[in-house]
This record gives sequence, structure tokens and C-alpha cells, in this order.
Amino acid sequence: MSLEQYQDHMEMCMRCSCCKFIPMQRVQGDKYTYVCPSITKYNFHSYSGGGRLNIGLAMLKNGFNYTDKLLDIVYNCQMCGACGVSCNYAMDMEVMEPIHEFRIKCVQDGKISPALEKVITGLRKQGSMVPVTGKRGDWASGLNLKDASKEKVNVLYHVGCLTSYDKDMQRLAKATAKILQKAGVDFGIAGNNETCCGGRAYQMGYEQDFLNQAKKNIAMIKKAGVKTVVTSCADGYQAFKVLYDKFNLKGDLEVLHISEFVDRLIRDGKLKPHKKVDMAVTYHDPCHLGRLGEPWIHWEGKRLSKSFVFDPPKVYRRGTYGVYEPPRDVLKSIPGIKLTEMTRIKEYAWCCGAGGGVNESNPEFAQWTALERIEEAGSTGAEAIVTACPWCEKTFNETIKGNGSGLKVYDIVELVEKAI
Amino acid sequence: MALSKEIYSVFEDVVGPENICNDPVIMPSYFGKDFAAIILPKNTAEVQAVVKLCNKYKLKFRPICTGWKGEFPQGIILLDLRRMNRIIEINEKNMYAVVEPYVISAQLQAELMKRGFHFNVKGAGTNTAAMLRGHGHLDQSTSGDDRNHLAIEWVTPEGNIVRSGSVGSTDEWFSGDGPGPSLRSILTSAVPPGSTPGVFTKAAVKIYHWPGPSRFPVQGISPNITLSEIPPNFMARYYSFPSLDKMMQAEFKIGESEIAFELMGFNIAMVASNMTVSNEEDEEVFNQFKKEIQGVGFFIIIAGNSAADFDYKKKVLKHIMNETGGKSLESIERDPRNEGILLHNCIRICASIRETFRSGGRFSSIPMMGQRDLTVRWAVGAGKAKRSLIEKDLVVDDEGAFFGWGVEQGHLGKTEIFCRYDPLKPGAEEAVLKWKAEQQKRASDEHYFAMLWGPEDEIGKGLCNYQSWWRKIKKAIDPNGVALEAGSLV
Amino acid sequence: MIEKERLVTIVGPDKVINEPQVLQAYSKDMSFVNPVKPACVVTPNKADEVQKIIQLANDTQTPLVPVSSGPPHFRGDTVPGTGGAVIVDLSQMKKVILVDRARRVTMVEPGVTFGELIPAVNKEGLRLNMPLLPRKSKSVVGSILEREPVIIPKYQWDISDPLACAGLFFGTGDEFRTGQAAGPGTIEEQWAVGGVQKSPYGPGTASWHRLIQGAQGTMGIVTWISMRCEILPSLEEPFVVGSSNLNSLLELTSWLIRLRNVNECFILNNTNLAAIFAKKYPTDCQNLKDNLPAWTLFYNLAGYEYFPEERIGAYIKEIDDLTQRLRIEPVKTVGSVSANEILKAVQQPSGEPYWKLRYREACQDIFFLTIYDKLEDQIRVMNHLADKLGYGASNLGIYIQPVVQGTSCHCEFNLFFDSGNPIELDRVKTLSASATRELMAEGAFFSRPYGENAGMIVNRDAATVAVLQKFKKIFDPNNIMNPGKVGF
Repeated sequence: MSLEQYQDHMEMCMRCSCCKFIPMQRVQGDKYTYVCPSITKYNFHSYSGGGRLNIGLAMLKNGFNYTDKLLDIVYNCQMCGACGVSCNYAMDMEVMEPIHEFRIKCVQDGKISPALEKVITGLRKQGSMVPVTGKRGDWASGLNLKDASKEKVNVLYHVGCLTSYDKDMQRLAKATAKILQKAGVDFGIAGNNETCCGGRAYQMGYEQDFLNQAKKNIAMIKKAGVKTVVTSCADGYQAFKVLYDKFNLKGDLEVLHISEFVDRLIRDGKLKPHKKVDMAVTYHDPCHLGRLGEPWIHWEGKRLSKSFVFDPPKVYRRGTYGVYEPPRDVLKSIPGIKLTEMTRIKEYAWCCGAGGGVNESNPEFAQWTALERIEEAGSTGAEAIVTACPWCEKTFNETIKGNGSGLKVYDIVELVEKAI
Repeated sequence: MALSKEIYSVFEDVVGPENICNDPVIMPSYFGKDFAAIILPKNTAEVQAVVKLCNKYKLKFRPICTGWKGEFPQGIILLDLRRMNRIIEINEKNMYAVVEPYVISAQLQAELMKRGFHFNVKGAGTNTAAMLRGHGHLDQSTSGDDRNHLAIEWVTPEGNIVRSGSVGSTDEWFSGDGPGPSLRSILTSAVPPGSTPGVFTKAAVKIYHWPGPSRFPVQGISPNITLSEIPPNFMARYYSFPSLDKMMQAEFKIGESEIAFELMGFNIAMVASNMTVSNEEDEEVFNQFKKEIQGVGFFIIIAGNSAADFDYKKKVLKHIMNETGGKSLESIERDPRNEGILLHNCIRICASIRETFRSGGRFSSIPMMGQRDLTVRWAVGAGKAKRSLIEKDLVVDDEGAFFGWGVEQGHLGKTEIFCRYDPLKPGAEEAVLKWKAEQQKRASDEHYFAMLWGPEDEIGKGLCNYQSWWRKIKKAIDPNGVALEAGSLV
Repeated sequence: MIEKERLVTIVGPDKVINEPQVLQAYSKDMSFVNPVKPACVVTPNKADEVQKIIQLANDTQTPLVPVSSGPPHFRGDTVPGTGGAVIVDLSQMKKVILVDRARRVTMVEPGVTFGELIPAVNKEGLRLNMPLLPRKSKSVVGSILEREPVIIPKYQWDISDPLACAGLFFGTGDEFRTGQAAGPGTIEEQWAVGGVQKSPYGPGTASWHRLIQGAQGTMGIVTWISMRCEILPSLEEPFVVGSSNLNSLLELTSWLIRLRNVNECFILNNTNLAAIFAKKYPTDCQNLKDNLPAWTLFYNLAGYEYFPEERIGAYIKEIDDLTQRLRIEPVKTVGSVSANEILKAVQQPSGEPYWKLRYREACQDIFFLTIYDKLEDQIRVMNHLADKLGYGASNLGIYIQPVVQGTSCHCEFNLFFDSGNPIELDRVKTLSASATRELMAEGAFFSRPYGENAGMIVNRDAATVAVLQKFKKIFDPNNIMNPGKVGF
């Protein structure tokens, strides 16, 4: 793929500004109307989805002019996909793909963010997107989990970099393992041999590094005979489910987020949340589980001449088939949980702020984004915000710490663990 | 034209360094023009300061709200009013709301609906600024154009703050006219087409009773949004007619009987576009609808303030349809899903996007506000001329249709005809522009209405030389010639 | 100053008048403006005569004062502001040029009165949205150009309604037509393709009709207007609601207009209702007043072509819900005044003598725009002042008219007095000035500044006036058009 392939799509942008907002019919008032953190904070139209397309198109036509401002625009984007959902309510055109390609091109042309380059250097050296302390599989010591790098497993629990290495997040891995064990799932982990899925590298624009990681993971999965990958990280979910498929690496592999898996287990009667968890919560849809988590659509065809239609018809990914209901169903099945929705949810959820490398390259912007979300969560009257991605949780927790909000943050697996 | 460092820093002093930019890389997102700078003021005081500086340094400027489309000269200052996005007041008893430039219609409408009100959302869509002079789907019952404005706060081209009407001498925004002659004679539009030089920093707009729910019962995941139920006392239908004359008769009768909440003279191609989620589905549904209709038609929403009122309005509608041979489109009447989509889209989105841009990427139109029957008569000819472009496969086939609606229960009206086309198709854009020019010239030569675009002096000759008066006004209020008129559509 | 002969060559000898008693009549009116005698009066019949007069006035720096209505005048705008002025009395331009049922529009010359136009439009199944009981000699064009409030707020979408387009000559002598009338083509050419000068926008960016409304003839002279008409109802059902609690009536009023249930809708206090309906003055008037509630809301429900009974029935039901909530009751009669009587009266101009002059032989009006929430305080201020200055609050006539679909209210205090009594005259003059000042402080918006109080009104909005001054210089560079009015 290349930016040139999306020139037609970029031409379609009419500067309607829909990409800045949640879909119009979802607007409930003056507040919580914006969906793009980048334009909301930085205000210049260039920071919106449409603005990025306009710039990309101009650069394609007139040559690439990499100024500091351009890189500021490029890298201050969580790549959250909200602009695409809002645009694609009405328009048939690719939005996120050209935005991604532009990022990738910047990296290819050496126009990098030093902070991101540092992270990728770490990835190349140690297969992790976070600083490595100890061994990747240390969290599982004493749990006697199957080692997928050594034996065949049907179900692979892919833990993820942050959950593996971050002392605060390791509890999520333990909770997940406990849930799977409780449900009698025959699963394994790669432990110390687990390597990053590459998803966040792709978000940052490092396509080749992503592909390197993807190939490593698929090789290990094939070797272990894995049929199903389960992960509790939304980024990992999107990597395996969507990106690996996009690059024709996924094959028949089934990819489930832990919330989908738990939902299935509950429906099959293999898991019974029975302990009361008295809590008023609101649920935050992680971008990579929700709108960006919908399956990849392989398409090849050509454009017909008189209008923007294609042969065969091009089906657009509009955020429709992301994972929205399973986490909610899981929460609703826990006795005592009272779920109140925020305004911006599901395919038009506000990003936590951590994606696209922003967590690393501009933590202040990431936290600003998270604070918007925390305020929105607080407005529901909930005492806790629940989500399904460690990156979201990390960002929320860091922001709450810095801003004195009383809101608690939970991963869905923590609440399930409490309930079983 | 680049600003000198010194002048740039003076503007920086007003808005802060993070709210001004002249880096060429951002310009493609601002209409592809090389602006001297993009400036983002936060409030009226900052706007005033910027405008005064523009006068001091003889820099031309232009404001935009959401800034959908634009024609701008190079080298001017562009005021992007994005940061001015507050709803200042909603006065329920006297039915008006006061907004800043970047409050979009969706926001204001949602706040109003919670309170039992709504307002005129423009056809351009609820993603555009609420304060715009505009017209749209709801004009039948909520008027249109500058007739929805009350008091306006205006930073003049010289940088003076003028508050028209009541807000000039009181704290209230209920009237935009006086003392004496009204400044609303020139305060007609925040942005073009046809615009007031200077900057509207706040405007009061009329609001209207909303008999519907505080929120529509919306369900589904984008783009498949539907209503879980049709709200009580609401009905949406599409009627087609055996002839244009019959349709116009029905339109006028409906206007005079004051039963319509919305009457939108959509052609069936636009209905199909509005309801569908992709170009392919659009074509499929259009072909299906074409079989169900008998001719031209319109979309109508009936909304009752009470059950009795609703029953009355439905009864009258039925009667008028019997009188004029109107036939209800079964795909809407018998399918609450479709009815709900249209009902909801036409109130909460008013989205032009699906109907205009999705299929071909470009559309070019001739819109006319004014005397409805007169503009329809003209549009019939323009539609016939459009068919030859369709036959040559230069524009999307909508069977030469035009659309429009009554305004203020049919006292006034709007008629528009456009061509959707692929700008990359050789000859398409040329053909469309030629068609436009010819049809406008015909409108002028045959005394229907004046040309909308063209050399001002030529157009003005046939319009009491209004342009010479306008130029004098412009010079008087903009002695330094810094406030440009042409610019963003919305 | 124009020589009489030059005017005679334009309009003919019969149309140039300088008899002393005629000049005396134009030199003053019911207001408190200083009397100033004009140099002469011309009564043109045709638009091109008006243009020539204006051109001549520019050449000779002669002030012109346009007048459309017959006497008596009340506001001071038809009294010259300066000596040597020529009154351009258009009241003899009496053509009803066009009445078009389908497009609901009529076109008239300035001399047409309401009494003359109403039957002309009624014949076509139309009716006017008109002010409350205009005097017999009141010009329709004059009323509309003055932005007088109209009694059907539902049909007033914009403050400029019912004005559509206008044909005029600016103070420069240049011809102009506003809105759709501007072109392309002449009026006749527009008619030939079915155009009816209905649409008010433009030409171009501006809404020029707003410039001449409220201008008191200071921008130019209008020689015709087109105005929108409404359809004659096939069925009407008027009601009145009496109460001493103005607030509950205002609440009901705001809902009636919001729901668009009512056509005619206004509130009168007992003084005004009695002044209108008493058969004899002053005794009957006082008796009538004593038997009326302090406030009366009048509203009319109308049905048109389709099932009018059902339409009205639905409205009645909705209004019942409202009035029950507010604990007031719509009835058919208040005191001895019936709703039907009121309806019949207000669909015509005032009978003679003009209702404002029946009680006493003069009347000074104080009127402004406001919002519901401020009205009671403003009325309280006025009552207090009236008592304080010896006029007596109970003598005030009060008329409340929601306008522009309820976005504001016209509030009018009618001060009846005997102008031959110097004490009364002085009292009313003082009260008028004091009230204007104090009401402005209470948020009253005097959008139509007349007479001797105009200065204090426009001085409060220097920014607007500064822009208007620029307009004035453009459209009347020699300041010949009614100089001294509207703060110019």
C-alpha cells in the first residue's frame, strides 16, 4: 500500500468538518460533541482527519515539505479512527488508510519523532514497546501455565508488552489467566518468548518493524498449532485480527479479545459471575477493540468512471463491526454492576489519548485527551471507568493521579475476576 | 504574502503563539491558499484586536466558521473562529438562542430539543455553524435565510464593535432592528454567498416549538442508524405526483393549510441517497424507488402538538393528496425503518453530504431563494438542459431532477438544481460549468432571477445597480479595504 | 429653497399648495415636537414626479418631508425638522396595483389606507396582517415602513413583515427597487413571466428593505410597496381571557404563539379596552372600564379551507390544557365586551373618531420592544411615574402586542390628555420624557425613536448610530430627506 493509492479518496474530502465531531445524530447537547482529540486541542483544521487528507493530497501533488509544523501535525494524532467513522457515515472514501500511509511515509523518509524512534529501538532490541524490567513471563511464575513456545496449544493467551512488564498491569494478566483457568480453558502463553504483536509500532508509522514482529508471532503461532489467540490488550487484538489479516498473515487464525471470550464462556455456561460487585460504572470503548477492531476487508477492483463507485463494489470499514456489545454484556452479567453509558461510545467513542505514539511522543497531549474522557465519565455519575485495554487504563490512571479526580479505573477482567 | 516577523508577533501578542500559524504546510487544509496567517481568536475582544491590526497594517482578512468550501485570494489573513464556540443564552419564553460562530447546528439543536425547542438547521447540515444565514429542510415551518436572525454582535471592518438592535442599548438579544433603520439591512450573513464585511461574533437566532422527544430514540451502529420507534404524533412520507403542476398544487395547499413541519421537495434520487449507506446501495434503492413513483414528488413530515392536532393534520394531508393525485411511496409508508431514517436524517442531520458529495465527489448547483412557483418554472428548463449531460454520461443520472421547498408555509420558496459529477472525468466539470452559466443567463434574460455569479457590474445593471450602492456602503464601513466578502460557503 | 413654479412644472398647479391654513396644519401634530411651518406642500400622483422633486430638492438644498397618511399625525416625523421644507404628501397616490391570491401578495401606492385595501384583498380571499385599529387616514405603506406592530404574531416571521418589496427613490434621486422587484427586468417584465415581487431578499448581499423601514423618510421616498397577505379564514372563533394577573396572561400568550394556535393575539388593559368599545365618553367609558378586568387577552382561532371546525377544535383542546394549568378561563365576554365584537373591530381600521382620541382629544404614545420577563417591571415603573407626576396610573392605556412570532413584545402606553389644557399637556410631556428615560434603564428597547425623545434614545447606541450616519451620507448626501429625524 502507498499514499498514492489513496489519492482519489483524499480528493473526495469536501472539508465538511464532520470528522471533528461525533456523528450528528449522536450529538446530545453542547458538551461531548467533538470526537477528534487532535483538532479539539490544537484547533487548526490541519489537525482534523480532513485536514490531514488535504495536506497529504497537496504533498502528493506538490512534493513533500517536511517542516516541524508538519511533523507536529502528523505525530499529534492518536490514529484513533474516529474521524473515519464520522466521515463514513455519509461518505464512501478511505480516511484512516491514507492517514496511516502518510505516517508511514514520514517514517520511511526519516522524518521521525525521536521519542518514537527510541521506543522502536527498544522493540528491535527486546521485542517490547515498553522498557523491559525482568523477564516477560515473570508475571506468570507459580501459575503453571502451558508454554506455547514449547508445546502445542489450541488457545494462546497473548499478554502484551505493557501487561507483561508493568508492575501495575501484571495483575490484569493474572486475572485473565485465572478467568481462563476457572472456565476450564486449555490455553498457553508464550511467556518469556512472547514478543510484541507490532500493533503500536504500526500505529506509530513503523510498518516494517510491525511486519517483522507480525512474522515472528505468526511463525510461533503456527509452530504451536494455535487455533485461537486471546488477548486482553485492544492494541494486540487489533494487530492480530485486523493488521495481520491486512497483510495476509492471519490465515484462519481466530482472534478474540478477552471480553469476547468471556462473553462466550458466560453464554456457554462455563463461567458464572455470581459474586456481587456493587459498583456504578461506565464503559470506555478502546479504539482498537471498537471501531478499529472490525475485521479487515480484502478488496481489489477498479473505479468506474462516472462517479465514485467501484467494480466490484468497495465495502468500507466504517466502524460498524467493532467489538461493542460483548464487553457490555459481560458487565451486565456481573451482579451489582450498574452501567451508565457516556455520550461518546462505541464506534464514536472518545479516545483515551494513548494511541498513535502520542503516549510516548507527547504525554501531555495524551493526558489532556484522557482528562476529557475522565470528565465525561464523571458526568455519568459513575464511580469507576471500566475499559478493556491496559493502555487506556494506564493513561487514565496517570491522568487521575495528576488531577485529583476520585474516579477509579478498572479493566473488565478485574471485575470479572471479582465476580467469579 | 508572508507577514513580517514583527507583524506576526503583534498578532501573536493578541491570540497567543499557539493560535496563529503561517506555516505553508497547514495551508492545504485551508482551501489550498497561501494565507498570510491563520488566526484563531477566542472572543470578541480578540477579534476586534485582530481586525484593528489588520487595519493598521492594511492586511485583508476574512472570517470562517466551519469553513466548508471557500474561494479566497492569496495572502490574506484568515480568521478561523473555531475557538468561539459557546452557546451564550437560550431564552425559552421569548424563543431565541444566542450563539457564537462555531456552535454547530447539531449542538444547538440538541440543547434546544431537551427544552422542547428546535430551530432552522440549514440544508448544508447540522455540522455547520448555527448562526449562518441559510435555508434548509425545515424552512416550511422555521423560515430561512436572514429572517431567522435577531440581534447580532458585529465587529466592523474597522474593528468597532456594533451590537444591532436591542443588544446595542440593553442586555437582551430579542431584536436586531433599530433604533431607526435596521443594521440587519447589511448584517445579513456571517459568511458568503453574499456576506457582510467584518465578523459576526455572536448572533441571536429564532427558535421554535419542538413537539418531539427530547432525544430521538436512535439505535444501531454507524452508518446503520435507525429509530427504534417513530415518535408519537410524527409521520414522514414521500409523495409522488402525476405532474409537476399537481405537485406544486399540493405544495401550495399544504403551505396554506399550515400542516407541514417539514416539506422537502426532494427528488427520488436524493431520497435514495439520503437513506442509503453506500453509493451501491444508493443506486439499488433509487432503481427500486423509481418503479414506485409516478413522477416528481416531495418528502413531508407532519408533527402534531397533540394527538388531536396530529389527527387533524393527517386528515388534511390525506385530503390534499386525494385532490392532487399524490401517491405515497410504499417503501416509506409501510416500512417504519425507512420512515424513521428519513424523519431523523431530515431533522437531526439535514445532511447534504450523502445527496451531493458521496456519489461523484463534486456537485455544482444553482440555488434560488425567492418566489417558489417562478423558480420552479425556470428549473424545468434547467432540468431539460441537464438531461443532455446525463446522456453524454458527464454527470450522475438523476433524470434531470431539481428540488426545492416552500418557506414560511409556502409564502416564499427555494429551488435548486445541481449536477453531481466526477471531477476527474474529462470534460465533466467543463460541461457542468457551461450548463450553469447558460441556465443562469437564461434566468436573467427571461426575467426569472438574477445571475448569482459573474461580473458584479454586469449583474447589477439589471438590478437597479445595487452593486454601486453596496460598494459605497462597503467603502464607508471599510475605508481601508481590509474586509473581503468572498469566501466560505458555510 | 425651491421656487413654487419649478414644482408646478413637475406636478401641476393644483398640486402645489402654500395656503397658510394648509401649511399651518402640516406645521405641527399631536406630538411635542416644535412646530415648524413648511414652505409648501406638493401632492404628486406619479413616481416619476417624486423623483423629479427629489432631484430638484438636491439642486436647491431643500428639505423634503414625505407624508403618506392623512391627519391627525402623532409622532412628529411628518413635522419638518427645519425651516424651508417641502412636504411631499403622497396620500393621493391611491392605486391598489395588484392583488394576487395564489401568491398571497398585494402591491399598493402610499396613499392607500387600510380601509381602502381591506375590501380589495378580501375580494380575492385574502386579508391583511394589520396593526391594531389604525386610524382611518392611516396609510398602509406608512404603517409598514414605520414597522408598526401587527396583531397576528404567528404570521410575522420577521420584524419587516408584512413588507415584501418596495419601489423608492433614494435621497439622491436614484430609483431603487428592493428584493425580487429589483430585477432582472422591469416590474411589468417580471409580471409577464409570473413574478410578483414577493421575495424580500437582496438584491445582492443586503436586505435593502430593512434600510428604509424605520427610517422616517430620511433615506428616500417610497412610491409603492408589495406586502404579503394571509388567507381569509373560513371560520373564526375568538376568545377573551380577563385577569388581574398579567403574568398568567403573558404565560398563556407565550404558549398560544409558540404552538401557533392563534391568529390575532394581544393584551389590552381596561382603560384601552374601554376607550375602544365605549359608546359614549366619558361616563360610559368609565362604567365600561370599571366592569372590565385589569387585563384582557384577546385571541382568535381560525380555520381555513380544510375541516376548519376540527382544526379549531384541536386548538381549543390544547388551549384548555394550558388554561387549566394556569387557572384562567377563556370566555366569550369580558364585562360587556364580547370577543366577537373585538374581532370584528380589529379586522378593520378604527371607526371615527379615532379610538385614541375619543376619551380625550389628544394622545401621546410611548412604545418600545421588550420581552415577557421584563414587562411587569416596566409597567410598574410606568405606573409609578404616572402616579408621581400626577397623571395617574389608572388613566394609562396599555397595549401589549407579541411580535415576530413571540420573540419580543411591543408594549405601548397611551396617554390620553387634553392638549388645550397647558397643565395636562406639560404633565404628559414630562411624563413621556421621564418614562422613556426610566424605561430604557429597565431594558425597554425603543426601536422606533420619534419626536423629542428620539435624541435620548439614539444616544444610547452610539455605535449603531455611527453606522447609520454613514448610510445617511450615502443615500442622502445633501441631507435633504426629513433632516433632524431619527437622530440624523
